[in-house]
Amino acid sequence: MRIDVLKLFARQVYINAFKSKAIMALLGIIVVLLIYAAISGAAIYQKQTESRLLYQKQVRENWEKMPDKHPHRMAHYGYLVFRTKHLLSFFDFGMESYTGNAIFLEAHRQNTVNFSEAGFSTGMLRFGEISMSMILQVLLPLVVFFVGFNTVATDRENGTLKILLSQGVSWKEIIIGKAAGLLVLSLSILLLAVGMLVVGCFTISQEGLRTDALYRICWLSFFYLLYFAIISIIPVLISAVSKTAKLALVSLIAIWLVCAVIFPRTSQALGNLFYPSPSITEFQAAIEQDLIKKGDSHNPDDPYYKTLKDSILKVYKVTSIEQLPFNYSGFQMKEGERISAALYNEHLNRLLQIYQQQNTLARRSTIINPFTAIRNISMALSGTDFNSYTSFQEQAESYRYQLAQQMNDLQIKLISNKKLGDHDRPYSISRSYWKSFPDFKYKGSSLREVVKRELFSLVAFFCWILALGVIISILSRRLKAI
Amino acid sequence: MFLLMLKRFLRSRIAIIGLSVVFIAGLLSIFIGKQHVLKQQDSQIRTAKFQQEHIKRNVQFHQAEIGLLLYYVQFSLVNQAHPLNGLSIGQRDVNSSIQRLTIRNLEGQKYDTDLYNPSNLLVGNLDFSFVLIYLFPLLIIGFTYNLLSDEKEGGTWRLLSSQSTNPIKILFWGLFIRAFIVIVTFLVLLLLAIFILSLPFDTYLLTTLVISCLYLFFWFAVSFWVVSLQKTSSTNAAILISTWMLLTVILPAAINNYITNTYPVPEALATVVNQREGYHEKWDMDKKVTMDKFYTHYPEFRKYGQPDKQSSWLWYYAMQQLGDDDAQEQSRQMRNKLWQRERASGMIASFLPTLNVQHQLNTIARAGLSNHLQFLDSTAKFHEKMRLYFYPRIFEEAAVNDQNWDNFKVEHYEEKVQIDWLAILAPLIIITSVLIILSGVNYRRKRVI
Repeated sequence: MRIDVLKLFARQVYINAFKSKAIMALLGIIVVLLIYAAISGAAIYQKQTESRLLYQKQVRENWEKMPDKHPHRMAHYGYLVFRTKHLLSFFDFGMESYTGNAIFLEAHRQNTVNFSEAGFSTGMLRFGEISMSMILQVLLPLVVFFVGFNTVATDRENGTLKILLSQGVSWKEIIIGKAAGLLVLSLSILLLAVGMLVVGCFTISQEGLRTDALYRICWLSFFYLLYFAIISIIPVLISAVSKTAKLALVSLIAIWLVCAVIFPRTSQALGNLFYPSPSITEFQAAIEQDLIKKGDSHNPDDPYYKTLKDSILKVYKVTSIEQLPFNYSGFQMKEGERISAALYNEHLNRLLQIYQQQNTLARRSTIINPFTAIRNISMALSGTDFNSYTSFQEQAESYRYQLAQQMNDLQIKLISNKKLGDHDRPYSISRSYWKSFPDFKYKGSSLREVVKRELFSLVAFFCWILALGVIISILSRRLKAI
Repeated sequence: MFLLMLKRFLRSRIAIIGLSVVFIAGLLSIFIGKQHVLKQQDSQIRTAKFQQEHIKRNVQFHQAEIGLLLYYVQFSLVNQAHPLNGLSIGQRDVNSSIQRLTIRNLEGQKYDTDLYNPSNLLVGNLDFSFVLIYLFPLLIIGFTYNLLSDEKEGGTWRLLSSQSTNPIKILFWGLFIRAFIVIVTFLVLLLLAIFILSLPFDTYLLTTLVISCLYLFFWFAVSFWVVSLQKTSSTNAAILISTWMLLTVILPAAINNYITNTYPVPEALATVVNQREGYHEKWDMDKKVTMDKFYTHYPEFRKYGQPDKQSSWLWYYAMQQLGDDDAQEQSRQMRNKLWQRERASGMIASFLPTLNVQHQLNTIARAGLSNHLQFLDSTAKFHEKMRLYFYPRIFEEAAVNDQNWDNFKVEHYEEKVQIDWLAILAPLIIITSVLIILSGVNYRRKRVI
């Protein structure tokens, strides 16, 4: 292969694209949309982050301001936790709009994460959103296909191809050169997007988040580069094997539709069909049933708690609860919380497993669908994927558990066993204890964990490039000029 | 001639592949709808059974105090869907169709969502409305983009047109045959859906049928117009796919973005914060303050006076009530914002056939935002009814066994949807007619040779 020949073909593709008014219009639309997506994405990030931080701060202040009271009151006062957005969520919205944003954490009860944008939507949201990542993943490839469909087929139709080949140009040079032209075209858009991304990060973030974000942008650029390499080769190959340019275009549109629209939805839908997940009613009823089997703390005659009480009385060699050196109802609640939380986690894990199974088919399909691969990687790096959400849920639940148990411990230690009379002042402990319970801090996955998790998609990309290389070398031997 | 052209068309590969893809996707969507409907029904049956056992168990445990019993007991309200929900899942996968409420604080309970896998929402449901809104247009585009240009490029057009006095007629026949096949495919799928989902024959089904057919005609008109520009097949394909992208992806997303930004709902977070503070601060306040506020809200309960004991259910439920009262302003604002969103969406949707069809189908199936908002209102009414029934009984410390607890069955809410034919039909008919007229002008201006 001669570099100058490759350059020649690449330049020809590139320049032709800029000569066509229709292509210029489409590229113009892409650029305008990118700018729009960047600005609106950044605005959404800022607005939502601001309001969530504000409320989070308010929640903390109110928590610390609470006067002296019974610790179990505090356990019911509970905590409100808001999901923090990842800085790069302005690049890739991912599942942001579909996941809940606020969760109320209290003793005895695991609440749902509420107030998702999807819940507030009129259904229009289901048509999708315009984010920078969506433009790069879905729209730009279509434009590349529009540019690339006639790269070889037109030369064949008007006989140029025959002349080229007879002058000693090889098929490999034609295919790779023209694909390189398409790649340069898409990379100029990608470069623009990355530029906006970096500028965006510096304008909307606080100091601390930037370094991590910059590393992530590097990774993102690398993956999008691979993606566009694949996207640039496909139209040239299709154009080379098609008899006419028209046929090439129709095949390319079909490929795009299948990969970007039909396949992701169908694979997810099949996943759902095969692994049905429970509704909230079914889920809660199952937990409650298990709980009753294990021991119902509300039931005054529950055998489990009766045995527990008897054994405690025996160990302390006393005959009644009032004689115990610690607060028994706190102790019983602690035990109840332990059991119910364990059961809840068991059910939640089972539910998340079902969700993972539902996603499996779509995830596996990355090996045949580069679009799914880039979508998954992009979301993961932008902290807006499925795992980011479930890890928030898990961290919130574990914080809830700590809160409930800490309050139970305080009750066990500091509250008397003596039952109060009708006009006694209620028991209370010092408010300094509230302050000593730390605030909730969401910890996102580190870059290393993300890359490790998305290794499969990375492998899929390399397989694709390898496979395309093999196809190019096979085709170069078999293709005909007419 | 009709049969000949039909045969000729059905022999082409693209026709067969396109038809089978859409047909299989359609079948799949019907089964997905069936699964959704069954899941909803199962939830209802479970809820009814659960409520009975739940009340029985709690009544048995908490014989002594009716106040304590009602701290635990939950009553359910079901948002009844129309069977057409199987065709158009809408918002029913996010918003729970069942509310389980205690008579305590309402604002802390009513926004609980259903459990769902966010990955599903991200890619979207493959329901019948998706097949109709996204895939059928693609089928139409695939069938018609080369209607005239293919004959011209193949050199057969001259032959064909020379045999006919009016070449437009041939074009028309070609279009008619394709429309016939598409409509028949759609009707077969709908018939299967009627059978599989046991859809009742009512006005709503008729409306669905009419909207769907008009939507398909709209896409034929788009194609007809693009063909009338008499460009090459490739250009036609590119224009049609770009139009499809514009109508199903870009414009809806842009409009959604506009609506979300114009009517943001920061009140949502404020509501939870205020409700929680409003209730909990009362624990540390003088009881009299709380009771006076409570009696201002419900003067009819003033006769119960001030609580004389340290722990009192009268005081407890008054505090719960005031949590709601304190969050009322934000809650009301949030409700208004969401209604504004719904109205603005409906208004804008009438200009965009894709949005319009989705909006109408969701509304008919009782699966849109308006349905959910009305369900929330009826939830509030239901909650108030239960509260007002039990408040006097709690305050008078009525005996638990005096109540007939078997009477508290699951209640149902069913939205009455008024079909506004003008709003449904007018936009689609107008847009389609405009396109047909424009194409007619094009054909007249540039003679088809």
